[in-house]
Amino acid sequence: MLEVRDIVTAYGKIEALKGVTLSAKENQITCLLGPNGAGKTTLMMTITGILRPRAGSIRFHGDEIAGAPAPQVVKRGIALVPENRLVFADMTVQENLAAGAYLRARDKAGVAEDLERMLTRFPRLRERSTQAAGTLSGGEQQMLAVARALMTRPDLLLMDEPSLGLAPLIVDEIFEIIAELNNDGTSIFLVEQNAHKALEVAHRFYLIEQGKVTFEGTPGDVAEDEVIQRAYLGSGAV
Amino acid sequence: MDEHTIQVLSNIGMFSFIALSAYLLLITGEISFGQQAFFAISAYASGIATAMWGWGLGLGILWGALVAAAAAFLLAWPTLRMRGLYFAIGTLAFAEMIRLVFEVWTYQVKIDGELVGPDGSEGFRGVRYAFENDISNLEYMLLIYGLLAVVLVFFFLIERSRLGAIFRMLGEDELLAEMQGVNRVYYKVLATVMSGFIAGIGGALYIHLNTYVEPKVFNVMLGVHSLAYGLIGGLGTSLGPLIGVALDIGLLESTRLFTGFRMVVFGGLVAVLLIVRPRGLLDEDVVYWLKRRAARWLGRSKKPRPARRRPSISAPEVRDAED
Amino acid sequence: MIDFIQNSVDGIMIGSRYALLAIGFTLIFGVMRRLNLSYGPSIMIGVFVGTFIFIEFKAGWMAVAAATLVGAVIAGIYVERLCFWAIRQGAALASMVSSFAIWMQLEEFVTLSFPDRTYPFPPLTGDVPLKIAGISIQLSYLVMFAMATTLMLALNLALYRTRFGLAVRAVSENPVAARFMGINTSRVIFFAFVVASALGGFAGFLIAANEQQVTPLFGLWATFKGLIAMMLGGMGSVPGAILGGFLLGVIERQATWYLGAEFRDLVAYGLLFVFLAFRPGGLLGQRLAERERLALRRV
Repeated sequence: MLEVRDIVTAYGKIEALKGVTLSAKENQITCLLGPNGAGKTTLMMTITGILRPRAGSIRFHGDEIAGAPAPQVVKRGIALVPENRLVFADMTVQENLAAGAYLRARDKAGVAEDLERMLTRFPRLRERSTQAAGTLSGGEQQMLAVARALMTRPDLLLMDEPSLGLAPLIVDEIFEIIAELNNDGTSIFLVEQNAHKALEVAHRFYLIEQGKVTFEGTPGDVAEDEVIQRAYLGSGAV
Repeated sequence: MDEHTIQVLSNIGMFSFIALSAYLLLITGEISFGQQAFFAISAYASGIATAMWGWGLGLGILWGALVAAAAAFLLAWPTLRMRGLYFAIGTLAFAEMIRLVFEVWTYQVKIDGELVGPDGSEGFRGVRYAFENDISNLEYMLLIYGLLAVVLVFFFLIERSRLGAIFRMLGEDELLAEMQGVNRVYYKVLATVMSGFIAGIGGALYIHLNTYVEPKVFNVMLGVHSLAYGLIGGLGTSLGPLIGVALDIGLLESTRLFTGFRMVVFGGLVAVLLIVRPRGLLDEDVVYWLKRRAARWLGRSKKPRPARRRPSISAPEVRDAED
Repeated sequence: MIDFIQNSVDGIMIGSRYALLAIGFTLIFGVMRRLNLSYGPSIMIGVFVGTFIFIEFKAGWMAVAAATLVGAVIAGIYVERLCFWAIRQGAALASMVSSFAIWMQLEEFVTLSFPDRTYPFPPLTGDVPLKIAGISIQLSYLVMFAMATTLMLALNLALYRTRFGLAVRAVSENPVAARFMGINTSRVIFFAFVVASALGGFAGFLIAANEQQVTPLFGLWATFKGLIAMMLGGMGSVPGAILGGFLLGVIERQATWYLGAEFRDLVAYGLLFVFLAFRPGGLLGQRLAERERLALRRV
């Protein structure tokens, strides 16, 4: 569904992505692991069109989208739940969701329907639907960010470190939601540092280090790979 | 050297001081639209010293700069908590207040039967020290450039010292600097005081060359110009502000072509320049490139290139990767 | 006591001009987080276009108003494209200095095309003093006051009830997140600029009609009054702009009455400075200031 090939993205003279190749399959959860600064967020930004790659190709449903601006990428069906949530703090929960549906605002009936569905699926958001998003807890904001992205009715949901800064119990909840969404048919491309939780839900793994993909495999492969075990799963003698 | 050239060069020299003072603050990450306040305070203080208290020129200039530095010290505290744009507007408000105070303040003494001293909006006339002591325009210009050279050496030394590194660190990322143990308060106040002193030198020189000054000279235009000089000439080196001043005053002053619509042309050029070079002609990257070239030419070994810097004086926003 | 009240009423009336100017200023700032130092001058272009057609064609006030608006919008677009759109994100200082350079360009352009010190402008209502509950009010000022409050309400409605308003607020809050929603931030900024310029042009028209004349000093004056009013009320807040404008007017009036005209601006700047030192968010923007401070810290 999503094919990323030899993507090179740079900030000035520094190449953050030095030729990244990976793919995300339909109806699966694909997970990208990697340390800080490896280029995970840069890759997300490149796919969603916030950053333009210097070279390489990104194909979504067969169409080339590398270099396309963000509004277009969103129109094609890719939505991002950004790192650090980035909810609109001064807007209410409902307004945040409405913002998510910005591009579909003409379809008032559809949007209203989706709004209802989101509030039903995330009852905590319904409770707080008229509250300012900035007053929500970390976990609730994460839920809001996910719901907001879902309002675009994406074919592919990108999630950038959804567990960041959240308490373990909340993280469990979030990953339950991720699994649920996937069961209901949403394809997910997940970027995570929390490899343990990711192993519970993802179907396919990539490891990115210093701007290049250094590992590709199934959860089973991950369990067997020593490097990942030691670096990200904390097992093995030091 | 003809009189006109001397005058133009003197102006370039004098305004370089205020440009450098704005530049210093810019390096530490603060936008100041108010350096003209210190220019003004020093002008008045030094004028009072030489024309009313009978001091010598050297002492007068020093006195003016010290008073300006003291004022800067006082300004530093309430502005400590102002960040970014708030600081910029705060300095602007302060400078306007100073100007308006000078518009109403009078302090005059009788010297040889005449009233001498600041007279509100009439300004401060009769600062004739240079005149009375037969300092020629040429000699005065040399004085200006002599002092400017001292200030430039000072900048040169700072850029190479720990102090300079700390200043630039604060400019790039204050939070990070603080986490490294940098005492933000101390260094911000220090930078403000230093910048006040430097602007003060310029102000004292200004009033003694022109023999008189009016409060309306020290308006916002001067303030924003001082900042603009650094931004045009380049923020990578202390020569940047000088280039900015030289471009503005030198080039356009002497090009009689554009009299009348000089600003139309200059304003447009500046806007276009800032599109292609938002950190000026000699920005950090150019300067780094030049230094590397010079080092290679002098046979020294190549140093590893540090990450390209883009200190932004605004909320961090995602930048587009360049093509 | 009656003096104080009269001054306050006068101040609010006079402050309506500042409020009108500040609305546009704050809209631009809210959506771009940069100061547009060419705001006043671009309005001035509009106002001088107005005076031009008044002089050349003896046009009525409606035509002059339209001309002023159009002139201001065109000038505003020029500034937006050259100083803000063309300069990439993150170089906020370059944008502001560029807008300063264009300020000087526009100002000189006006003084070259209109070399006299002052030019006539058609009045809207003329000098009609009214007396309400023992307080005297000029009709033209009352009109401005009514316009300021109406515009604020209309703008608020637009911001909170329309799709475009939502986009503007999203971009003001968090431009990056807004792009993830598919919002075209540069288009939003452009239109916000157009609206702000139109508002400014309208403000300029009312002010010039009130004065029945225009001078080339208008640009500087408008920028500063708008800026101060905006800061007092809270950067980025539309109701704040109105309140800030009124506050500035009242302060000026009281200062002039009790201390004398020379102290008027000194007190205004002093108040601004105090606000910046202790309450940078202004009257209404407290949380905004907090967020700015946080945003300036890189995470």
